[in-house]
Amino acid sequence: MTIDIFWRIPTHGEPSSHRSRKPWRGDWFPGNDNLTKPGLGGGEDGTTYIDYLAEIARAAEISGFQGGLIPSFPSTDEPWVISSFLARETKTFRFMIPFQPGFLNPVVAARKTASLQRATGGRALYNIITGGGGPQQLWWGDSVPHDDRYTRTTEFLDVVRGVWRGGPFSYQGKFYQVEDAGLPDPLSQEEFPEIYFSGSSDAALASASKHADYYLSWLEPFDALRDKFKRVKERTDALGRKIKTAVRVDILARPTAEEAWEEIRKGFANVDPAALARFQGTGEPSESVGAARQRDFRPTTINSYKDLITEPNIFSGFGLLRGGQTQGIVGSYEQVAQRLDDLVQLGADSFILASTPHLEEAYRVGEEVLPLVRGRPSGSAVLRAVG
Amino acid sequence: MTIEFLWQLPTSGDGRYGDASQTRRGERTQSSRPPFTEGVSDPRGNRFNFLDYLHQIARAADLSGFDGIQIQNDLEGDESWIVAGYLARSSQRLKLLTEFEASRGSAVYAAKNAASFQRFTKGRFAWQISQGGDAALRRQHGDFAPDSAVLPRIGEFIEVAKGVLTQSPFSFKGHFFEVLDGGFKGPLANKPVPPVYLSGNTAEAYRLSAQWADVHVLDAAPAEELKESIATLQALAAEHGRSLAFGLRIDVLARETEDEAVHDAQRFLAQSGRAVGASNPVVGPNLWAGFATVQTGAAASLVGSYGQVAERLVKYADIGISSFVLAAIPHFEEAYRIGEQVLPVVRSRIAIEQAKAA
Repeated sequence: MTIDIFWRIPTHGEPSSHRSRKPWRGDWFPGNDNLTKPGLGGGEDGTTYIDYLAEIARAAEISGFQGGLIPSFPSTDEPWVISSFLARETKTFRFMIPFQPGFLNPVVAARKTASLQRATGGRALYNIITGGGGPQQLWWGDSVPHDDRYTRTTEFLDVVRGVWRGGPFSYQGKFYQVEDAGLPDPLSQEEFPEIYFSGSSDAALASASKHADYYLSWLEPFDALRDKFKRVKERTDALGRKIKTAVRVDILARPTAEEAWEEIRKGFANVDPAALARFQGTGEPSESVGAARQRDFRPTTINSYKDLITEPNIFSGFGLLRGGQTQGIVGSYEQVAQRLDDLVQLGADSFILASTPHLEEAYRVGEEVLPLVRGRPSGSAVLRAVG
Repeated sequence: MTIEFLWQLPTSGDGRYGDASQTRRGERTQSSRPPFTEGVSDPRGNRFNFLDYLHQIARAADLSGFDGIQIQNDLEGDESWIVAGYLARSSQRLKLLTEFEASRGSAVYAAKNAASFQRFTKGRFAWQISQGGDAALRRQHGDFAPDSAVLPRIGEFIEVAKGVLTQSPFSFKGHFFEVLDGGFKGPLANKPVPPVYLSGNTAEAYRLSAQWADVHVLDAAPAEELKESIATLQALAAEHGRSLAFGLRIDVLARETEDEAVHDAQRFLAQSGRAVGASNPVVGPNLWAGFATVQTGAAASLVGSYGQVAERLVKYADIGISSFVLAAIPHFEEAYRIGEQVLPVVRSRIAIEQAKAA
């Protein structure tokens, strides 16, 4: 099967380059909840931030991306809302919606999803996340402990699938019950959304094996990622199902490798020393296994941006430049495409790419990098590197 | 007092006949018969569905002068929040009164989604929280709460949503919802709380509205009968140091002459499957019950000439109604008719009366 390449919508606002945090588009960025700086839809100019996000979605679809991940954080706008708002003004953009199953009644979620499919011509996808846990979960109003939450995720997807084709469907779970349920016609005739599943713990893998179409991971060191994908595919095979894998990764691609690294060097020079100190420390306490893995993959002594080059073309300090995930690919257009193909060889079936600023870089990556990616030609007998 | 006119969006079907719920304009499903004969080509394929038609109704309401739309929570139809978002960017001014039940999930998550609506629409999002169906219907929709929990849960839902939208940190521990050190920050902080529309005719529903509603929506009934409900509700609200606004959910069947209106009313009555003459459909001055209302959800419909219907609406405004949630089938054509023929009359009459009173 050919591979799918998605882009990403920066719900958290973004700077206009990797070099500096200023000027900022939107009115928020990770680590600074109090920013209320106006700019591109963040201020009093008559526009709102959705106007900017709409431009990014259109840039992504025009440049050939499948669609985009619309991440949700405590201070960001919500992907269900963004997707429904942009449904009519996009043509092929697929809306990848991350949400925690605990936040929605599964029957309501099924109706919401079917309606969004109807509104978009079948362009909705799920990114099921199950929560980092700790105090953050109670901020969301959720008091269920970490491993139980994966049971709840499994039950949630049992119910959404159960009611999808119409009823009557009944279910007695620990967290969810329904009686004689089913989507009404014509909602029940929509395609079920593809499911991208995030979560690195054993409980997550168990739940993913049952329901996910794609197991989604942040970029990790290639060997670690190969092992992780192998593990999840073996687990799923044991259940008699097939699962594909996806990698979420930032990229910084320029005509030459020198130009690309120069962007990193300038960005690193502008990093706030306090932020660097936090980055080197243990980070925020969280039950998230994925976040802990990211921390384990980076050096503890950082004197130069070069200390964060952990593998060829891999820079693990992106979190310093724009918050969020740390590992990303840096290099010439050819190098970045080659590293993506290396990931295809170790098992990746899909990518969620991003670069800053998401608007202009959607065109650059779509025009300069995607045409160089070989991917996995449909129909040819390319062997998977794993399994 | 500002008067608002909201037009209903029929989320599960519409058409020109009394059994409108069976028609989804624009929709082509596998089971539906081709609308044209084999001898006539049809260019539409399946490129349209009912949402395209709902979009036209919203545009009609916008262009014909309504202040907002009411998006039904019809369990046989499309989900109201998705419909609200789908329509939101097609109007710069319509209020989006979105109906749902408190069983939809986390109140924090609902509030967070609402904050995005408010940011993107500049505060046009409003909530109509309904009680839902009977216990069996609720179980079909994943809600096993007993009857006695339905109203208290709405109260907690509103308390939590308002809390996280307006305070940080906000903590809460109730029967249905729990939050610790919650509350929105940064761009989501201090967004306008969606105005809350509640309804219900029981003493418990009245007490809930007195404490939490901004608008209590009454079912259609003769104006004289509604006066008492308004007085009771206002007295209850006063106990909480609050004041309520009042809405009216009523259908309208307005024609150039009363004769035409009565003629169409009788035809709808027949199409609704109600035997003509089974019982007197006229329940008040220009007020009929028993047709179209199964689909639109209103208890009764005004039937009369443009002037008569306008007159009755002014009368309701006189007794304290300030939010009219109106509907008529087919919703698209009738939005233009009511917007063009009735609303201007009502608005100018109310303006004259207010000027006199001032």
